[in-house]
Amino acid sequence: MKRRSIFAATALGAMAALLISACSSGGSSSSSGSTPGSTTAAVAFNAGLNSVVNPSSQKGGTLTFDNSSTPDSFDPGNTYYAWVLNFDRLFAMPLFTYKSCPGTCGLQLVPDLATDMGTTSDNGLTWTFHIQSDVKFEDGTTVTSQDVKYAIERTYDRSVMANGPTYYQVLLKDPTYPGPYKDRAKNLMGLTSVQTPNATTIVFNLQAPFPDFPYVLAFPNTAPVPPAKDTGTNYQLHPMSTGPYKFQSYQLNKQLVLVPNTEWNPATDPNAKQLPSKIIMNLNVNQADIDNRLLAGDIQVDSAGTGVAAAAQAKILSNPTLKADSDDPYTGFAFFAYLNTKVAPMNNVHCREAVEYAVNKVNTQTAYGGPYAGGAIASTVMPPNIVGYKKFDLYNALTQSTGDVTAAKQQLAMCGQPNGFTTNLAYRSDRPKETAAATAIQASLALVGIKATLKGYPAGSYYTDFAGAPAYVHSHDIGIAMGGWGADWPDGFGFLDELSAGNTIAPTGNTNIEELNDPVVNNMFKQSNSQTATANQALWPQIDEQIMKDAGILPLIYAKALLYRPTNLTNVYVQAYYGMFNYAVLGVQS
Amino acid sequence: MLFFITRRLILTVFLLLLVSMITFAIFFLVPRLAGQNAYELAAQYVGRNPTPGAIKAVEIKLGLNDPLYLQYGRYIKGIVAGIHYNNGPDVSYCPFPCFGYSFRNDQPVWPQLISDAPVTLSIAIGAAVLWLIGGVAIGVLSALRRGSFFDRLSMGIALAGVSLPVFFTGLVSLELFSYKWAIFPNVHYVGITTNPLLWARNLVLPWLTLAFLYAALYARLTRAGMLETMGEDYIRTARAKGLPERRVVLKHGLRAALTPIVTIFGLDLGLLLGGAILTETTFSMPGLGQFTILAIQNQDLPEIMGVVMIASFFIVIANMIVDIMYAVVDPRVRF
Amino acid sequence: MAPLLEVDELRIHFRTDDGLVRAVDGVSFVLDRGQTLGIVGESGSGKSVTSMGIMGLHQGTKAEISGHIRLDGEDLVAATPARVRELRGSKMAMIFQDPLSSLHPYYTVGQQIVEAYRIHNQVSRQAARQHAIDLLGRVGIPQPKVRLDDYPHQFSGGMRQRAMIAMALSCDPELLIADEPTTALDVTVQAQILDLISDLQSEFGSAVIIITHDLGVVAELSDDILVMYAGRIAEYGSAADIFGQPDHPYTWGLLASMPRLDRERTARLVPIPGTPPSLIRVPSGCPFHPRCRYTELVGGERCVTEIPPLRAVRSLGHQAACHLTAEERARQWADLSAGKIPDDAAEPGSAEPEAREPV
Repeated sequence: MKRRSIFAATALGAMAALLISACSSGGSSSSSGSTPGSTTAAVAFNAGLNSVVNPSSQKGGTLTFDNSSTPDSFDPGNTYYAWVLNFDRLFAMPLFTYKSCPGTCGLQLVPDLATDMGTTSDNGLTWTFHIQSDVKFEDGTTVTSQDVKYAIERTYDRSVMANGPTYYQVLLKDPTYPGPYKDRAKNLMGLTSVQTPNATTIVFNLQAPFPDFPYVLAFPNTAPVPPAKDTGTNYQLHPMSTGPYKFQSYQLNKQLVLVPNTEWNPATDPNAKQLPSKIIMNLNVNQADIDNRLLAGDIQVDSAGTGVAAAAQAKILSNPTLKADSDDPYTGFAFFAYLNTKVAPMNNVHCREAVEYAVNKVNTQTAYGGPYAGGAIASTVMPPNIVGYKKFDLYNALTQSTGDVTAAKQQLAMCGQPNGFTTNLAYRSDRPKETAAATAIQASLALVGIKATLKGYPAGSYYTDFAGAPAYVHSHDIGIAMGGWGADWPDGFGFLDELSAGNTIAPTGNTNIEELNDPVVNNMFKQSNSQTATANQALWPQIDEQIMKDAGILPLIYAKALLYRPTNLTNVYVQAYYGMFNYAVLGVQS
Repeated sequence: MLFFITRRLILTVFLLLLVSMITFAIFFLVPRLAGQNAYELAAQYVGRNPTPGAIKAVEIKLGLNDPLYLQYGRYIKGIVAGIHYNNGPDVSYCPFPCFGYSFRNDQPVWPQLISDAPVTLSIAIGAAVLWLIGGVAIGVLSALRRGSFFDRLSMGIALAGVSLPVFFTGLVSLELFSYKWAIFPNVHYVGITTNPLLWARNLVLPWLTLAFLYAALYARLTRAGMLETMGEDYIRTARAKGLPERRVVLKHGLRAALTPIVTIFGLDLGLLLGGAILTETTFSMPGLGQFTILAIQNQDLPEIMGVVMIASFFIVIANMIVDIMYAVVDPRVRF
Repeated sequence: MAPLLEVDELRIHFRTDDGLVRAVDGVSFVLDRGQTLGIVGESGSGKSVTSMGIMGLHQGTKAEISGHIRLDGEDLVAATPARVRELRGSKMAMIFQDPLSSLHPYYTVGQQIVEAYRIHNQVSRQAARQHAIDLLGRVGIPQPKVRLDDYPHQFSGGMRQRAMIAMALSCDPELLIADEPTTALDVTVQAQILDLISDLQSEFGSAVIIITHDLGVVAELSDDILVMYAGRIAEYGSAADIFGQPDHPYTWGLLASMPRLDRERTARLVPIPGTPPSLIRVPSGCPFHPRCRYTELVGGERCVTEIPPLRAVRSLGHQAACHLTAEERARQWADLSAGKIPDDAAEPGSAEPEAREPV
């Protein structure tokens, strides 16, 4: 009698266990009121690249982010970190933003606080925008154009706001404006190149035409700041929210807690959602801990967005279930080597082309972390998730990825160095991946007789004192220098301008390290200034191809990151611009 | 005794000044020896692609272009008299003790130290209690049963404890007891006032990890001390008086063997209060140790100075207490 | 009246890695109430081991104890350790050679005396303190109330020893064992301590065993004297017997090597040649034979092969273990006490002691 009841209980228990595991395994595809326009997808590897995984409009739960470090600042006017730009949209509504949708759709710039893409006049020197009239701060006051102007003004005082982008000072008409903290006399509205004729209009006066100007306005530093509530360096502790969430508490460098902003109107902000009832971000958490907590489901997102560390990578890639719950997007970064056009004998294009052919790009890919955590082998300067990318391959990087020794030797003969030559290869010695890549390049070049001597420099001063100082490069014979780039906005200008335009060569902090000064390239950039952004889309790939014809840059990889999405994360997909999950729309299954 | 304490406290102040001078010097002189000037130093505290104007503004704000003695003087004056800080629209004032404002996030350092200290104290004191009781107990038992299986086993484990680094033991214990078997899931610091039970639960693994290392040392130390003490004549006298063996071991034997242990304990605890760096980093606990690492990585001078001063203070005070304890514990030292 | 202490064929051996140490190898003696026994011998003779054995202090070590120790009729060898511990400190107490190392340095003298008292008596702390003050006064320490709270290192050597005596007497023991009580003290202080012990003995009525290597100490206090050599008894008798008519060459050696006031200053001291034997390789036969001048007088190899039994020769209470005849012994002692050094005194028996196999 007893035995039978135990048997029955065990059987019931087993069935229950099976049922439970069936229900909880592999994300629920129950689309209870899924957002219109999004596609539901069965969970699979890279499902988040082009579709919404786990779509849901279910509210509630606590969404937890962890980060292995800290933001440069949670003040929307004082940040430049990619993940912070992504995260800020939860409490800061800038004039423009990137569309919240998966795939290349996410590269589209769309108005956020602004009502439309704006109008230009004066041959592109003046831009006029209108803002929505019923957006409110978390304290109920309505946002006016003066709040937007003030937000921009405060970024001028670099002694208070040291971190953010510096575009306004370069593009707008009064670069010497000292900022509202020093210029309190003119009613705090002293930036004359920005006008606010009425509460919903804002006008910008540029020094020169700049068709990509709306991209500049997509940074969170255009999110409105009420002057009366500006606490300067302390604003980062509690910015006035215009997004779906507001600060409940912020323990500096430890934990941020966000709660829903009751003043937020979803109709004004279709690119964000207000689903979780609490959002927590833990800072300074050990990376190994983060990866383990993600896999255990204790937290939902690693907010740095650069992917899991090596140990977790191995775990995920070798386990089909885990792999199905991960995405491997392009991060928008590219890693490459600059081939200097002024240092002999690299100043001869054929010598540079020899280098392009000779390098074993599989080895450099491995050095950067392999196909998943490092990236895809590159043949162009711009990565695929940039508007204006066109696939071409001038040096057989994709077809002969291990290097084309024959072609390299031919090029060497053509530049008059049939037995090779010597040069110096600069790299950042405190970056292990870059060190490994430089070593791999040195080895491939040796096979065709090019003797590259490695010269390591600290990353902190690489651009200010060494590779980024042309005088140093010339005096130290640096023909090849390692580098990387991520654009401030995803079009050709953002990606290519500072890498290749002749007028960007600077004596220090130079990013056009190959010192390319090709009139063809320069003219194309000049042309782009007088065309619209849409028309320019055809121009960028031409510039890219010209740079490659000039062999000014040796592309190595389009960076990727292996991101894990826990099964209780909803509405998760990769936002193509940030190269990480879209933090503004996430929810959590409670 | 009072004279002794006051004299020591005065010496403490001088020592802290000396430590602050050396730290200040290292921070600035080392990059200068490498050829970096103030402008380049300031460039580290600015965002990506800064304009020269931005770097200059930061250089002036942080006072990096002033001569070293002036910067140092300002710093010390700030500690004592407080600092008026331009935060943008306003002027903030941070009163004594003002350890300056962080180079990175412009927030005052002292409140950050205050908020981090309880974490370190929780870890250090909890582990200290465990290792003192555990280590001494094992040491006493091992000494009494010298040569037995227990003795050899415990000394073997002690060898492991001393040889295995904290981050190894910590990571292994996390892997096993937090991730594989969720006995201690989601280990993160919870304040004792927020939730005492969770506070203790989340600290068990850090306590055990840290205590394992120190308990091993103390077990060996106690064992050696006990072996020496139990051979002394006064132990024979105690037995001759007819005292039960347990009292002989504890009240007469251990009491005498404890002197070096108590003094080392004071020093160990003092060092740890300045930041259990490895433990805090392994378990992601936001204490003074983690603060130290981040401050150094960020090259944030006020934060580095603040944490160095606090750590030095604890060590110096611990030394003073240890010296006093020595006199309390061993009457022969007093007179 | 039955004797207070009866030790019967006591053997205490230690098993070590180097062999079996025969520290005490067949010792028997008797002590009456109120009497004093002096146990004399060189270092390594087994005298301390014997006294520790009586106190039961070998408990927990590798000692193998056989024989009988009867304290007031109760056999301590057969008793449980708990029982012996009960008696330790209360019925039998011991004081040691170096009071500075024998008293715990971290506790006051008062605390240590109070502890000794309270472990055997259920009294309040106050009462115990008062008792300690009384004891300190009784042993001649001035200002006992103040000195009660002093630490051992704050006392002078003599005062310390007095304090130790006070501690030993705190429970009014019937047997007091003093192991080299004066060796660590100045000569003048020695005399004071010995006087004190004597006074206390008459006052408290305890039996005393004094262990020493110094015959002078023994001469003052002892009723009986036990001379030990290599773990065995060489000679046993009353003080008068031992000093008046010693019957063992070893005793002669001890007496002759002592500077005396009643001898001529220029008279040579005659030391005992050689060194005490190892207790692992005790010499065969008579253990003293390698150092004895008189083995030839005995004749043959008897001293080497045969263990001399402990025998009363002259009077019943006076025993010695020697192969020499009584007449020979008397003659030799007469010569020695007249100051004659034997002609063959230069080289004693140089034969290598034949070791008995360790058992």
